[in-house]
Amino acid sequence: MKSSSLKILLLTSFVQSSVSGEDTSFFESKIRPVLVKQCYECHSVESGKSKGGLTLDTKQGIRTGGDTGPAVVPGDTAKSLLLTAIKHSDPDLEMPPKKARLSEAVIADFETWIKTGAADPRESAVKTAERPPVDMDSGRKFWSYQKPKQVAGTIDGFIREKLKEQGIEPAPAAAPVAVLRRLYFDLIGLPPTQEQAAAFSMWKLESTVDELLRSPRFGERWGRHWLDVARYAESNGRESNLTFPHAWRYRDYVIDAVNADVPFDRFITEQVAGDLLPAKGDAERARQLIATGFLALGPKGLNEMNPVQFAADVADEQLDTVTRAVLASSVACARCHDHKTEPFSMEDYYALAGIFKSTQTFYGNWIDSENNNHGHLIRLPKLPGQVIPNRAVTADRVQQLKDELTKLNAEEIVQNEYVVKAKIEGRDISREYHKILTTAIRILWTRGGIEGQLETVDDQGHALPLCMGAQDAKRILDSQLYDRGEIAHPVKPVPRGFPQVMGIKAALPKAQSGRLELAQWLVRRENPLTARVMANRVWRHLFGAGILRTVDNFGFSGERPSHPELLDHLALRFMDGGWSVKKLIKEIVMSETYRQASAHRIEAFNKDPDNRLLWRANKRRLDAEVIRDSMLAVAGVLDTSRRPGSLVAELDGQSVSLIGFNTKLPSDLDGSKRRAVYLPVLRDQLPDVLEQFDVANPNLVTGDRDVTNVPLQALYLLNGPFVQDQAAALAKRIQSSPNRVQAAFQLCFNRLPEVSEIALAEKFLRTRSSDELKLLTAFCQSLFASAEFRFVD
Amino acid sequence: MNTIHTRREMLTTLSSGIGWLAFSALAHARSGLTAQQPHFPARTKRVIFLTMRGGPSHVDLFDHKPELIKRDGQTASLGRDSSGAKLFGPVHPLKQFGKSGQWMTTLYPKLAQHADDLCIINSMHTDLPNHAQAFGQMHTGSFQFVRPSIGAWTLYGLGTENENLPGFITLNPPADNGGAQNYGSAFLPAICQGTRIGGSQLPELYAALLNKDAAPGPPMKNIANANVPRDLQRAQIDLIRGLNERKMERDGVHPEIEGAIESFELAFRMQSEVPDVLDLRSEPEHILKLYGIGQGKDQFARQCLLARRMAEAGVRFIEIASPGNWDHHNRLRELLATNCASTDQPIAALLTDLKSRGMLKDTLLVWAGEFGRTPYAQSGDGRDHNHKGYSIWMAGGGVKGGLTYGATDEVGHKAELNPMHIHDWHATILHLLGLDHAKLIYSYGGRNFRLTNVSGEVAMGILA
Repeated sequence: MKSSSLKILLLTSFVQSSVSGEDTSFFESKIRPVLVKQCYECHSVESGKSKGGLTLDTKQGIRTGGDTGPAVVPGDTAKSLLLTAIKHSDPDLEMPPKKARLSEAVIADFETWIKTGAADPRESAVKTAERPPVDMDSGRKFWSYQKPKQVAGTIDGFIREKLKEQGIEPAPAAAPVAVLRRLYFDLIGLPPTQEQAAAFSMWKLESTVDELLRSPRFGERWGRHWLDVARYAESNGRESNLTFPHAWRYRDYVIDAVNADVPFDRFITEQVAGDLLPAKGDAERARQLIATGFLALGPKGLNEMNPVQFAADVADEQLDTVTRAVLASSVACARCHDHKTEPFSMEDYYALAGIFKSTQTFYGNWIDSENNNHGHLIRLPKLPGQVIPNRAVTADRVQQLKDELTKLNAEEIVQNEYVVKAKIEGRDISREYHKILTTAIRILWTRGGIEGQLETVDDQGHALPLCMGAQDAKRILDSQLYDRGEIAHPVKPVPRGFPQVMGIKAALPKAQSGRLELAQWLVRRENPLTARVMANRVWRHLFGAGILRTVDNFGFSGERPSHPELLDHLALRFMDGGWSVKKLIKEIVMSETYRQASAHRIEAFNKDPDNRLLWRANKRRLDAEVIRDSMLAVAGVLDTSRRPGSLVAELDGQSVSLIGFNTKLPSDLDGSKRRAVYLPVLRDQLPDVLEQFDVANPNLVTGDRDVTNVPLQALYLLNGPFVQDQAAALAKRIQSSPNRVQAAFQLCFNRLPEVSEIALAEKFLRTRSSDELKLLTAFCQSLFASAEFRFVD
Repeated sequence: MNTIHTRREMLTTLSSGIGWLAFSALAHARSGLTAQQPHFPARTKRVIFLTMRGGPSHVDLFDHKPELIKRDGQTASLGRDSSGAKLFGPVHPLKQFGKSGQWMTTLYPKLAQHADDLCIINSMHTDLPNHAQAFGQMHTGSFQFVRPSIGAWTLYGLGTENENLPGFITLNPPADNGGAQNYGSAFLPAICQGTRIGGSQLPELYAALLNKDAAPGPPMKNIANANVPRDLQRAQIDLIRGLNERKMERDGVHPEIEGAIESFELAFRMQSEVPDVLDLRSEPEHILKLYGIGQGKDQFARQCLLARRMAEAGVRFIEIASPGNWDHHNRLRELLATNCASTDQPIAALLTDLKSRGMLKDTLLVWAGEFGRTPYAQSGDGRDHNHKGYSIWMAGGGVKGGLTYGATDEVGHKAELNPMHIHDWHATILHLLGLDHAKLIYSYGGRNFRLTNVSGEVAMGILA
């Protein structure tokens, strides 16, 4: 008796608790999974969608409901519209839309849940959505979508004004040698020689700046900054990492354009639409075609089988790169839904996508086991002195390849006819399936390789000058807007055009992709972003942080500029100066702000710990390339000549996964005495020094590299073969010097050692006396590994 | 002056006691490696991920389907992709093992002895039936974009347990199928990236063609120096430290240099610890025997033992790749047996070994391929890719042993009961590590990113 009543009691309490208003286990097991699966896609903060004004992923959202009223009223099944919707009892309110009605069991669960109080633990889970500012009006009011405003002033004036407001004194001027080292590292990426340091005085500041801006080394340094933004690489990366043996032409184009100070608006136009620009002669034509390599260098899903999906993804990558690189905007987020935080709609996205979908991309990879999408190449006009690293073959070989191709094609026809015939005759050939498939794949892959090779030579077997790039496609078409970005769900065509928030309209030609108009739109004076974004990037490279620190994000979700007037000032000066990057750099480095000391001051630090107001110069870790090139320079072994072509152009085959096994290549992919900008840039297989010291990930648009401090860097500096080689070269260089320690310090740091440093050095050099040169090498390596070597004051 | 004075004092106490600890904490806070609190109490401390690339056939290994056996040879009617194909029963029998009666292949006799430790999930599904995409999605959640791998997210969320070792190590990862991206950090801080030990594995086809070992190369880059003996290197590091301290004194405050000093010390320590961890000679004979090391092709056995040693040393996320490819489009009967034979003993040994050391309770072992295979035949004696339903298993670290979770339809084609998408699976692994997948967020380029994108539900039913 007792025990049975206890059982009943337990049972009742169990039943009650399982469906009571407080207990949420019923909700968790029966209700939440259904909401997540069936509803969140269109009704959740997370998805950024709240169709009919309704969100269902918070308690508040579900209780408040949408346009038609509360979705759930605890205890009241009749007033709970969610129930009406899932029961399909109102034909105008059937949910989930266009799908079968949910099962009876599920509907019963919802009834039970609502009847018993609709317990819902999702109170603190998600905050209710801030209405995303997709509406254009609030978007247009945002600072970065408004045109730069003219405010009279100078760089130093704007900086001092803010410092004064905070009661912070500006820093004194840095020592001349500090300024000189800063200029050399920032402008050409190499340290000054002893002679250059000795000859410098502040009187010679302007002439030194001019000289550095004129140096061919300048383009190698600042060209690299753009290559970061352009996600430059010599292989595809991703799941099919195939090489781009012709990508180096784009690298050289960028370096030359930066050295020639091609106006930035022109520079952008060439890269987005160089093929559509008129050209004076073959050389200019070639240059402009190479420039469009910008659009072709991206990582692609080469093994995608569906050509429509492949085209959509390539266009997406191009759209994303162009808008991030030039506008620091994330328009591409609007592929699957309106942008959640920025004023970009899906219409904006597909208007741009149409432009890129009307473009053919030439990237050169041929069909093989990893690639299902033949990329082709652009044939360049022949020019005197042109470098053509791809190999020539004999005319006989060309003929032989062509014969093989004919044979393969014939073989394919025979097999296809056999299969068709069997089908017509109703013969079962399923047992031959494996053989047929093997043959088909062999034909496909062999043919791919032959076609790829034939594309690089003419009929006589002479190697052809080729480049990657873009040209208008044969068919010019507006893109469909795809629901959730899925190509299987086209909704409506969207006329090609530009994001509406900028408020600049332009008519696009019917017979052309519209890339030329896009380029012109990007660099129009009315475009509020382009000049600002570039001026901010230049600032970042000279100060270590942008005026807007999120240099690749000028949107709502980015930071706000610390000195908006200064940024506008620079943007306007940039455009007024004919978009000359060199002029902009000169104006900045000639300022007192750039030349101030980097010394720490506790009172200023307490007011502005992040140095947002620039009360001193930032001490900065040098870029990977600069660290490496400085070792070569200091060791006296730097070869400043340009590498003809690229190591990548000389590799056999196109698969990067085989490169690690090529014994001809150094394991650190370096071993070169030329500048780092000419090292191979294979995605996911970067030279050691670049990888260790935070080179830009070539899969992503990068205006602001990371600076990390990890032990693998120390291991590289202590044990890397390249570092040891350069240390040995430096040791040899100073070996016969009367004062080796002094000579080494002068070469590495442009200064004499302090007394305490001499003591440290001498102690080290007494460590062992067995092999003097070995010890001296270890000493030089220690200088390379010291913090001073990789920081600029 | 005052700051310089105190700094000098601090520096003199660096190598001993509090000063050093404070310094070390400072340096690590900056390098982002420091161990962090999980969102809620963790059920597992670390993960060993056994990657079975190629798509192991679930209906032959773990998903017992009487209906498939019954209808063997009948025409499949499973929609467009199967048109005309014949259903194809398991090529080797499955049996029930352990007290729990878990259905498993008879090709895994040693692993089957651990049936009561395994949580077999028969309701996995992923978005695409292509190797590269699915392999990428298994690691990063995305088949379209470059995203951080699950190991990088784990390190980002939890930091490292051992400051002498990288927190995320991948052993001989395949160079194809996305290569480095499968252990990359993408936009996460670079320190979260997996450290690759051992060269890339050659794609098997090429390894065979070139007659090369599939895992050549030095175990880890720059970990040793043939030219500089250790005592000289110690002197070098002391010199570097001295120079750096002088610079710090001149600069007043320079946190990056403080970090740099510590990173050289860590590097120096790693040089002695990493080779130790990688050196299997210190293992007793019975352990080597347990794993099958020294018996024929033992590369995978060595990796499994290395994984245990790394787990023991405090590495947070360890990934190792199966020696063979499970992509059995033909000759399934023969090739499946080969693959099982080469993985059975090492994996069973790893389970035994972890258990006997009391480590299985806080080490999550994961066995997974990028998808499964069709219940109908291809080329007569093989199976095609199937992403709609497949099996994986997990063991240890907070999952229920002896549990079969979820189910496919009657022939094993599509996940039906408790379907577990890659996002759900990732959410569950993070949950076991004490991380809420919806809160593990990184803001990059104007968007908040998660491993699970906008989905993912924790499978509460498998938690112990």
